Amino acid sequence: MIQVNIKCFSQVKYALEKDEIKLELEAGTTTVELEKIIREKASGKLDQVSLRVAINQKYVPNKTELKDGDEVVFIPPVQGG
Amino acid sequence: MVTIEIVSGPLIPFPSDDTRKEDGAELIFNGRVRSTEHGKKITNLEYEQYEGMAETELNQIAEEAVRKFLIHDLFCKHRIGKVKVGEVSLHVVIWSKHRKEGLEAMTYFIAELKKRVPIWKWAILEDGTKVPSECTHG
Repeated sequence: MIQVNIKCFSQVKYALEKDEIKLELEAGTTTVELEKIIREKASGKLDQVSLRVAINQKYVPNKTELKDGDEVVFIPPVQGG
Repeated sequence: MVTIEIVSGPLIPFPSDDTRKEDGAELIFNGRVRSTEHGKKITNLEYEQYEGMAETELNQIAEEAVRKFLIHDLFCKHRIGKVKVGEVSLHVVIWSKHRKEGLEAMTYFIAELKKRVPIWKWAILEDGTKVPSECTHG
């Protein structure tokens, strides 16, 4: 098993009503599988929201395998400026 | 040279610089908070960042703009936290030899910022409700 720390921002925070979630996952779990878990936890509130993913402060491609201790952020459309 | 600052509280603009002898263009962009969000009146926007990554991405985009358009300097300040309607949330200054490369660099920098930098807006409505902003246009 591995443990990852998911930080929540913007619409993800709004949908899950949490700033941060710690999850235990099977070794070999990918970002796509974790995104599915997060969307299920949001009970439909993220269905219309596109999400990119960052691990340890960097954008990563889809299906990146997660490692123990990773900090993961699902990034809704950004709005700086 | 690139200077990036993410600041909470009032934004103090970078000073105009009369000592520059090789820069024919000094471009200043100020992004301000509008009074409505999707037709609803607001009192403030509240900017939220993914701390660390937001500054890293801003730096990277600024370095790209300097390399791509051969401008001399790009300075940027972005506010985080509550920003009242009418106040400046984004301040960018570019110095370049001619205006053309400066204008192109400014357009590139702001467009990429709006695609890549993990900063988000929450709208504070007149009744005090705080909701994620629906504004995602570039």
